[in-house]
Amino acid sequence: MSLLRVENLHRWLGEGETRAHALRGVSFEIESGRTYAIAGHSGSGKSTLLYLLGLLDVPDEGRIWIGDQETSRLDDEARTAVRNARLGFVFQFHFLLKEFTALENVMLPMRKLGRLSEPDMRAKAAELLGAVGLGDKVRRLGNQLSGGEQQRVAIARALANDPALILADEPTGNLDQANADRVFALLRDLAHTRGQALLMVSHNPELAARCDHVLHMKDGRLLD
Amino acid sequence: MSPPLLIALRFLGARKRAMLMSLAGIVFGVAFFVVTQAQTAGFESYFIKTILGVNGMVRVEDRIQGGRVLSAADGSAFAIAVEGSVKYIPGVQFPNKVAEALAGFPEVTASSPVIRGNATLLANFREYDVKPHGIELTTFVAVSDLESQIIDGSLAAFAENPYGLVVGARVARRMNLQVGESVLLDGAGEPQRFRVNAIFETGIDQVDRERVYLHLAACRPLLNKPTGASFVQINLADPALAPALAPRIQQAIGHSTMPWQEREKTWLQVFSVLRVSSALTISTIIFISGLGMFNTLVMIVVDKTREIAILRSMGYTRDDISRIFMYQGGIVVALGVVLGCVAAAAGTWGLSKIPIRIRGIFASDHFVVLWDPWHYVAAAGIAVVVVLVASYFPARRAARIEPGSIIRGSSS
Ligand SMILES: Nc1ncnc2c1ncn2[C@@H]1O[C@H](COP(=O)(O)OP(=O)(O)OP(=O)(O)O)[C@@H](O)[C@H]1O
Ligand SMILES: [Mg+2]
Repeated sequence: MSLLRVENLHRWLGEGETRAHALRGVSFEIESGRTYAIAGHSGSGKSTLLYLLGLLDVPDEGRIWIGDQETSRLDDEARTAVRNARLGFVFQFHFLLKEFTALENVMLPMRKLGRLSEPDMRAKAAELLGAVGLGDKVRRLGNQLSGGEQQRVAIARALANDPALILADEPTGNLDQANADRVFALLRDLAHTRGQALLMVSHNPELAARCDHVLHMKDGRLLD
Repeated sequence: MSPPLLIALRFLGARKRAMLMSLAGIVFGVAFFVVTQAQTAGFESYFIKTILGVNGMVRVEDRIQGGRVLSAADGSAFAIAVEGSVKYIPGVQFPNKVAEALAGFPEVTASSPVIRGNATLLANFREYDVKPHGIELTTFVAVSDLESQIIDGSLAAFAENPYGLVVGARVARRMNLQVGESVLLDGAGEPQRFRVNAIFETGIDQVDRERVYLHLAACRPLLNKPTGASFVQINLADPALAPALAPRIQQAIGHSTMPWQEREKTWLQVFSVLRVSSALTISTIIFISGLGMFNTLVMIVVDKTREIAILRSMGYTRDDISRIFMYQGGIVVALGVVLGCVAAAAGTWGLSKIPIRIRGIFASDHFVVLWDPWHYVAAAGIAVVVVLVASYFPARRAARIEPGSIIRGSSS
């Protein structure tokens, strides 16, 4: 069974005059342990699709299965629980909580899930920060790190609860070439070694090409 | 520690100054609230204690005569005296019968007959109008605080002297009287010579200025009242029983019987208005801190919108987010109430040590305070309600943040 399956997704955005048909019937599947890039022009509906898959938004039409669970009709609380346990997000902006250290930021999703003891959470967060190359900066506050470092903390945070699927919307959009390469490589390798799926929106054709699959979007539809 | 609580603590730290201002407001508000209540209630209860010590809890006075009494049914105790046809006959003609009847009320712990009249006091070539009160010393001390009101001389000397006199402090001052001095009283009957055995001070101006106590037996010829009493003063096990008991006594003995609460209604109203108005005034301090709290929390919500969105995306529910802000309010109000109550206790204690000379409706040489846990409960209650309401709206606003649209709005 596929990890994620969507069928005929439609989404209108905006109200009245600005109302736009952003997604016009999108269907595809995602397998565990593989990496996917969504490519396409600006305004083609990539982010809209990603937010639907991430259960941050609800489709106007169509269905979304995560595993065997149909999620598009779940209420807010249930969708939130699915996000917590099964999804990880990396956005263009890292959104670290600046009152918390890098380590504590990574622990936030674990605290909510509540499956690990405090020492186990610490150990796991430290390990994840080690994996993104920040083993020596775990005690830094969010705003005491460089942009690239902050984005790597955000990746560690996305991986905190061992999500089945990592959703990334232009995770390297704010980074220079060297950092972008590094962050992308990290995401891809972590996903591969942990058997997680990665779905990434990217404007960078070179990075997109390094994924197992590239989905092309145009005017709210996936091209074959 | 629950994650929302942890986050609440960190967010509080991010707005330390504004939060400290709100906290200070709550501490001051709670403390001032309690201190002003302790003081007004202190004065009130001291006034009550004084007035009870002077005029007793219940007084049986004029006899109610005749009138048609409408019984609800034959033999029913429920009856209505028809207005207008009721006549009052001054005084208590048979105080012994009243005393017998009062024995049937277990709440009554003591009763004492008193006769009252007017006389002129002559001493040191001066004249002064006084109100002689003829008392039975042994029972009267049980229905008043006369013993503790003595500031010079002694009741023991008075007890032994059939023509002894106990004069009010201001009478003594006005007439320049000393203990041991001999004076003449001229009333409705024949003038008589008395010796001042003691001087009392109640603090109530009107009493200290005109009242003198003498023995009932000596008072009769002076005022030309060979029998009966002007009133019977009653003491109860609990002053709070008076309003319920007085009508029953009135019903049973046919004499107008007034509880102290009704007799002192005017002053009691003054005190309760004072107390309520000071409570309202001081509560505004708490309200303003609540407003400050509301403002600060709204600022935090606006400031942290993206962080809230990311928390929602990683699995924090609307309830969690709401709790983050309710906890912030809760922490501040909890701290504020605890510190406020400590400050209140310290302030109340300090106030009670401030010297101030008060005469007029009672006598005190320092601020009077009443320690009442309910003042603390009320202040805490107001603070908690105000802050929780002030936190509720920002919390609701935070909980309504849609993570998708915020995150979408923040990316290019
Ligand atoms: N709030 C909105 N109201 C109306 N239309 C909207 C709204 N948000 C997005 N859209 C439209 O929906 C379409 C899809 O937007 P989306 O953000 O998914 O594009 P995108 O492919 O992610 O673009 P980019 O590469 O620039 O991020 C766009 O045409 C956009 O103008
Ligand atoms: Mg986009």
